[in-house]
Amino acid sequence: MPDIYIARSSAIAARILAGEMMIMNSADSTFFTLNEVATAIWQAADGRTPLSQIVREHICGQYDVEAGQAQADAEQFVADLSHHGILLVSDRPFAPQASA
Amino acid sequence: MSSEHTACVEIGGVPIALSTTSYHFFALLLRRYENFLSASVPEFALDFEIVDARPATDEDTCVRRDGEEWLIERGDFSARWNAREGTGLVRQNANPYSLDAVLRILHSLILAGRGGFLLHAASAICEGQAYLFSGISGAGKTTMTRLAPSDVTLLTDEISYVRPEVRDEVRDEVRHDAARASAAYRAFGTPFAGELAKPGENTSAPIGALFFLEKGPQNRIEPMPASEAVRRLMRNILFFAEDPALVEKLFASACELVASLPIRRLTFYPDPRVWEEVRRFGRDHPRGRSLHDGVKQEKLAHA
Amino acid sequence: MSLMIEAGQKAFDLGVPIAVHLDVTYRCNERCVHCYLDHDDHGEMTTAEIKSVLDQLADAGVFFLTLSGGEVFMRRDFFEILEHARRLLFVVKIKTNGVMIGAAEAERLRALNVDTIQISLYSHRPEVHDAITKLPHSFERTVKAIRFLRDHGLRVTIANVLMTANLADQSGAQKLAADLGVHYTLDPTITPMMDGDLSVLALRIPGEELEDVFRNPALVPNQEEFCAPPKPPSDADLEGYSCSAGHSFCYISPYGDVFPCVQFPLPTGNVRRQNFLDIWNGSPQMREVRSIQARDLTTCSSCSHVSTCTRCPGLAYMEGNMRGPSTADCEKSFYRTGVPTANMLQQGLSRPRTTAPLVQIRLAAASA
Repeated sequence: MPDIYIARSSAIAARILAGEMMIMNSADSTFFTLNEVATAIWQAADGRTPLSQIVREHICGQYDVEAGQAQADAEQFVADLSHHGILLVSDRPFAPQASA
Repeated sequence: MSSEHTACVEIGGVPIALSTTSYHFFALLLRRYENFLSASVPEFALDFEIVDARPATDEDTCVRRDGEEWLIERGDFSARWNAREGTGLVRQNANPYSLDAVLRILHSLILAGRGGFLLHAASAICEGQAYLFSGISGAGKTTMTRLAPSDVTLLTDEISYVRPEVRDEVRDEVRHDAARASAAYRAFGTPFAGELAKPGENTSAPIGALFFLEKGPQNRIEPMPASEAVRRLMRNILFFAEDPALVEKLFASACELVASLPIRRLTFYPDPRVWEEVRRFGRDHPRGRSLHDGVKQEKLAHA
Repeated sequence: MSLMIEAGQKAFDLGVPIAVHLDVTYRCNERCVHCYLDHDDHGEMTTAEIKSVLDQLADAGVFFLTLSGGEVFMRRDFFEILEHARRLLFVVKIKTNGVMIGAAEAERLRALNVDTIQISLYSHRPEVHDAITKLPHSFERTVKAIRFLRDHGLRVTIANVLMTANLADQSGAQKLAADLGVHYTLDPTITPMMDGDLSVLALRIPGEELEDVFRNPALVPNQEEFCAPPKPPSDADLEGYSCSAGHSFCYISPYGDVFPCVQFPLPTGNVRRQNFLDIWNGSPQMREVRSIQARDLTTCSSCSHVSTCTRCPGLAYMEGNMRGPSTADCEKSFYRTGVPTANMLQQGLSRPRTTAPLVQIRLAAASA
C-alpha cells in the first residue's frame, strides 16, 4: 500500500492539556480530545513524514502494540480525523505552507 | 388511590425506570441512588409493589425461566421479569437491601446478553484507566479502596460493573477483525456498596487490568495462567440464573475478557505503597491508551 | 461528564490558564451609560507587545481567548492581532459592538475561523438602544453587522445588558435575535468603574424585580431546580473553591496588567515587565486567590447557600474583602430561593436592603 502524508488543518484551534490534545472545530462546533498516542500522531503530522514512519517512531517504539495493528489503528484514526476536516490527508507530501 | 412515582436510575449506561405508588419507598429509592438518577430514556421498566415480607437475606436466591418470563425469588422479595418486553414487577418490602439485590440480579441478566457481567471486585480509576481488584470476602477489596490515594476515583468497593466498550456500528464494520480481536472493556461505578457503605462515583473508564487479590508479606504483581484466570473470574462473577445457555454465554465472555486484558495476581501487604505498584503497572502497560480510545468528540451546544 | 467540562475541570485542578480575556483597548466609539471604563488611551500595548503576550499565553496552555475592549476595532492593527492569535491556534471569541463591521470585515473574520462573535445590543427599538450607547444610528449599524456576520456563516451571539432603561425590552430583544437567527444571552453585568466609582450602579435592577427575572420561564427554563432551596453543604462543598478566576482563567488589560478576572481588580503583575507564566505561577496575589476554599470564607462558610451561591470573589473584593460575602450574590440567592443568607442574618435582615452596593446577574441557565 502506498504511503500517506498527513497535515494538521489550520482552520481549527488546538492546545495540549496535560499530555492530551484538545481540538476545536468552530465550523461545526465539535470539540475533540486526543489521548496520548493520538496526540503523538497529531503532533507528528507535519505533512512531510509518511504515516508509516510516524507509526514506527511514535507508537511501536513507545507502546506495546503489534506493528500491523498499530498501522491499521493509525489509518482508521487518520480517516476519522480527516472526515471531520481537522487533519488533511494526501498520497504525496504537502507543500511547506499547508502544514504551518 | 395514590399516584405513581417514577425515577430513571442509570447504572452501567443502562437506564431503568423504577416506579412505585409508595411515597416512602420512592423517597428511599431517590436517596439510595441519588447520584445515579438519569434523564435518559429508560430502556427497561420495573414496577415495585410494597408488601410486608421477611427481612433481607443473602441466601436462597432463585432465578429461573418461567415461560416468557424470568422468576426471581428470595425470602424478602419476588419478581417477574419479561426480558423481551423489558418490563417487570417486583414485590418486596421497603428496604434498600432488597432493592439493591433486585437491581443487581436484573443487571446481571441484562449484561449477560451483552457480553458483560457484575463481578465481586472493587474497582477504581487511576490515571484514566480502571483497575479491578477481585477476590472473595476478606481478600482485601475494601482495604484496597481504603488505601487509595486521593487522585483515585472509587467506582465500587464491592460489585464491579464490566461490559465491552460500545462502539458505533459503522466503525465496527470498517475496523473489522483487527478491532474485534482486542475488544476493549469498560468499568462503571455502581451504587452497590460493601463495607465502606459508600456508593461509587457515577463515572466509567476503560479497564487497564484485572487483579486477583491475595494478602502477603510484600507487594508483588505476577502473571497468571489464562486457565486459572478464567476459573477465578467465573468464581467471582455474580450470577444466579439456572440457565445453561446464559451460563455458557457468560463463560465465553469471561474467556474473551481474559484474552483481551492483562490479568494479574496482586499479592499485597496492606499499606498505601501497593497503589504505587498499580500505578507503575499501568504506566508500563498503556493498553487502554492505544488508538482504540484515541479520539473523543462532542458536539457543542452553542454557548 | 461533557468532554468540555472535563477539560475545564482538569485545567482547574492543574492550575492551567485554559481561558484568558484580553482587552486590546479601552477606547470606544460608543459611550454606553452603564460602561465602567475610562476610554482615554493611557498607553496601550503595542502590536509587538500584544503579539508577544499571545505567544506567551499559547505556551502557558491558554486555549480559549476572548478579545474584547473597549471596542476592538478601534485598533487599526486588530486584524493583525487576530491573525497572530489564530496562527497560534486559539479558540477566539470576539466581543464588539459591531458598528465598524461591514461585509469585508465579516468575510475576513470568517476566513480566520473566529469561533464566536458576541455583539452587545440593548433593545429591539433603535431609540432605546441609541439612548444607551449615546451613538446615533448605532442600532442600525449594529444590526447590519449582525446580518453580515450571520450571512458569512459566523456564529453570532447577541448579549443584552439588562438595566432599568431597557428591562421592558427584554423579550423584544430576544425576539429580534430569533428573527435574525442568532443566539441571545443576557449579560447583565453592571460593575463599578475600575477606579471604584459606584455611580453607574444606580442603573441596576432593583432586587424585587430580580424575582420576576428569575421567575420568567423564557429566561430560566428549569424553574424548579433553579429556585430550589439550598441543600446543606457537605465537607466536599466546604473544600470547594469559587469560580475559575485565578485557577484556570485570568484577565489582561490593554496596559498589560494581569488580574484574576475582568471584575476582580486585584493587581497581580504586568506582562510588560514580567513573563506571563511568572505572574500566573508566582504572584503572591494569584496564589492567595487560588488558596481560598469555601471553609475559609468569613461569613459564607456558615451560610446554607454556600454550595449553590454564585458568590463572586471579585465583587467581594470590591466590597472590601475577597473572603467576604458579595452582597449582590446574597441578594440573588435570596430572591432565587426565598431563603435568607448568613450575611443577611448577621446584619439582622429578613430581606435584603434595597440598596445593595453592587448588582451582577449571571443567568447561566438562560443561555444553556
